[in-house]
Amino acid sequence: MKRIYAKEELCVNCRLCEVYCKTAHSLSKDVLTANKYEEPAPVSRVTVYGDKYISAALNCRHCDDPKCVKACITGAMTKDKATGIVYVNEDKCIGCMTCLAVCPYGCIKEGKTAVKCDLCRNEDEPACVKNCPNHALVYTDLGGENE
Amino acid sequence: MKYVIIGASAAGLACALQIRKEDKDGEITVLTKENYLPYSRPSISYYLKGVVKENNMYLRKPSFYAQNNINIVTGAEVKSIDREAKTVKAGRKVYPYDKLCLCTGSKPFVPPMKNVEGKSNALTFLDLDSSKAIKAKAGKSTRAVVIGAGLIGMKAAEGLSKICESVDVVELAPRVLPSILDEKSAKSVKKFLETEGHIRFHLGQTVTEAKSKGDRITSVILKNGKELACDLLILAVGVRPETALAEKAGIEVNRGIITDPGTMRTSDENIYAAGDCAVSVDMLDGSKRVIALWPNAVNQGTAAGSQMAGGCIAIEKSYSVNAIDFYGLRICTCGLINAQGDRYTDKIIREGESYKRLIFEGSRLVGYVLINSSANAGIYTSLIETKADISALRGNILDTPGPFMFDRAEREIRMKGALPL
Repeated sequence: MKRIYAKEELCVNCRLCEVYCKTAHSLSKDVLTANKYEEPAPVSRVTVYGDKYISAALNCRHCDDPKCVKACITGAMTKDKATGIVYVNEDKCIGCMTCLAVCPYGCIKEGKTAVKCDLCRNEDEPACVKNCPNHALVYTDLGGENE
Repeated sequence: MKYVIIGASAAGLACALQIRKEDKDGEITVLTKENYLPYSRPSISYYLKGVVKENNMYLRKPSFYAQNNINIVTGAEVKSIDREAKTVKAGRKVYPYDKLCLCTGSKPFVPPMKNVEGKSNALTFLDLDSSKAIKAKAGKSTRAVVIGAGLIGMKAAEGLSKICESVDVVELAPRVLPSILDEKSAKSVKKFLETEGHIRFHLGQTVTEAKSKGDRITSVILKNGKELACDLLILAVGVRPETALAEKAGIEVNRGIITDPGTMRTSDENIYAAGDCAVSVDMLDGSKRVIALWPNAVNQGTAAGSQMAGGCIAIEKSYSVNAIDFYGLRICTCGLINAQGDRYTDKIIREGESYKRLIFEGSRLVGYVLINSSANAGIYTSLIETKADISALRGNILDTPGPFMFDRAEREIRMKGALPL
């Protein structure tokens, strides 16, 4: 399946990926509103770690055999058979955060429900990749199962 | 091949799914004594407090089972296993099996108390029916008493506190949530629960007897002589593995069902066991005990299913990991949180309502308690699971863990985030 990969040599720690992730997952879809005014404030699914010397934008790996799916106590977290995307059904999620406690990548964020990358599943390309100014995020297929 | 699974919660469902992955044609029958398709047991407290509706509690859509050719039989309580004939009996029906898996879970443990048994307003809290029964009896003016301040008792108390004006919790241990909190953290959590939920705690206490009128309890009396008015009594002292079927069938049981720790096979080569009814070996201290937590049940069910279908998935690592919240207070715990002895050291930071305690054995992380500080907790969990050498990590281990605590090579393996240029 296609996944997002981070190239730390190319990351300049600008955090535009976070800005556009929040925008893409906001109600308004507007950069200013999403990042400054919208309530509840959208949570970025991607996180830039590091400092000005070395940094990288970390995102859900959409694992072949995801621990978060196995650990989910409500069946809210699933891996789509057709696309391989791991995502949260917010109607079913009770926000217990067991998924967060087992994700070895630290890629699940706390919210009213679990919050995580859905690879912008209704778009052609994830917003973080599309808006990275230095191609430090790449959306490509390096293998791995969908299921 | 005919597969029969007894029990349809975390372990039973995981077992069925794994069998189907490895054996496309085998006949899979899942027998559950409950009248529901597999649903989220942990959600019953969220149902009680009214934030989850019943139709969102089901783990899979009904059509899923037909699509995957998994036959779930509800209302089927298995009464006996005939190991000679390789059949199980539920009601009048007999189900033959080639491979059988026991995922019978646990049953409430109710200590002896005078005048409590059989009373109409004394209820346990373990499944959807019990949650419905409690909800039907609880009203604004109901004076609820919960016995047990463990995970189940406190979840019941939280749910009830949203409905009833008066909730008392009686606990034998000197602290709340004794299974997941250490003494140091339990104090502040107790204070939070008292403030947020208006719950009154009676720690270090037991209920010795109840006073009643007809078949209804009207008050309970504590060991110290105190009398609490009571319209609804929740019995949540603890649970025990449900092993009656296995024992009756002559399968080896010692507290829980004894299995081979890798394959989950019991003392009968055609019978497996998984989940809260089975004994695990904790990878962190080698202790043999029941680890009654969801992720462990799923792992065991998956391993049992694979082995039953002739596959090779086995249990490698068992340890406890749990996440729970009360009135928005998040508590994540993992590993040996009540470890005793000189071998173990710990590091703590406390800031307002957040608390982080990491427990070490030498240069290995073996446990954590995170209260309102669970960001990236899974990275800690993975350090525990992989027995990583903490001394090789960069930065302060008490800071929120992230990819740059590892060196480049380790980061690429662990985080799989970097593409080679």
